[in-house]
Amino acid sequence: MTPERFEDLAEAWGGDIARWPDAERVAAALVMAARPDWAQAVLARAGDLDAVLDMFAPPAGAPALTAQIVASAPSPRARRWISWLLPAGMGAGLAAACAAGVLAGAHLQPASSTPATSEADALVTAVGDEDFGLLLGEDA
Amino acid sequence: MGDPDEELLSRVASGDPAAVRALVARKLPRLLSLAGRMLGDAQEAQDVAQDAFLRVWKQAPKWRPGAARFDTWLHRVALNLCYDRLRRRREVAVAEPPERADEGPGPERGLEAADTGRRVARALQALPERQREAVVLCHYQELGNIEAAAVMGVSVEALESLLGRGRRALRAALIDLKEGRDDS
Repeated sequence: MTPERFEDLAEAWGGDIARWPDAERVAAALVMAARPDWAQAVLARAGDLDAVLDMFAPPAGAPALTAQIVASAPSPRARRWISWLLPAGMGAGLAAACAAGVLAGAHLQPASSTPATSEADALVTAVGDEDFGLLLGEDA
Repeated sequence: MGDPDEELLSRVASGDPAAVRALVARKLPRLLSLAGRMLGDAQEAQDVAQDAFLRVWKQAPKWRPGAARFDTWLHRVALNLCYDRLRRRREVAVAEPPERADEGPGPERGLEAADTGRRVARALQALPERQREAVVLCHYQELGNIEAAAVMGVSVEALESLLGRGRRALRAALIDLKEGRDDS
């Protein structure tokens, strides 16, 4: 590893070599062994920025927020009802009823009030998580 | 390496209330950290966290083990929610970063620390979005290079470039804070 590469890594990943990419750490340790004073100075400079960045604390989660989110999960009773209903042969009827409701709603809905689809919705509904797994590559 | 969240997610999918509470306890701080640093606004970060969990509840029964790491998926969903909000801000032409970039001193934090936090928040908000995303994912969320690159949909080399440029800009913006620390 060249000294320039060592500096680039410190600039990008900070002053703690444990947080550098795995593939770079052995070579970085060799640089540190060969030029300890210089390497420590580079890491200290990067570590100073790390310490300043850490002064920006994240917002704390209030207990009320936690309770709201927990309450937003579907209730076990609703899940049991659906899992009982669908194998009983009513899934197709339920789906047809829902589709009819959606169609009726679409007819009743004024065109100007249709909300724009968000990027996040697009990811979850259009891309789908199976495809998202492929999108993410081998680590996914 | 297995996904450490998979078992919990499967219990959430089966409607286990204890698993729901455990997943919220595990992921809410990370979501608030991510959205808080991306948006610089505590209230908006809370809204993003709520929206992200609604997507989790919807996705849990459909989750396919091994298809993706849940934490990676959750970061991508939360980032997209953040980008939706950043785009809406641009649309209403808000030129200045929000004033609520930091919540001010907590009981254990001094005034000086809060001031520094606000300075850092403003500097982070001033970065181009992709550089900010790289800094938030790698420095604050402590994702590894491969996972952060996957979340951002870029190569590891591109991630490192964004990270390096972002940190250089932050150093330039915050140089006096570092000097202040040396003097104290």
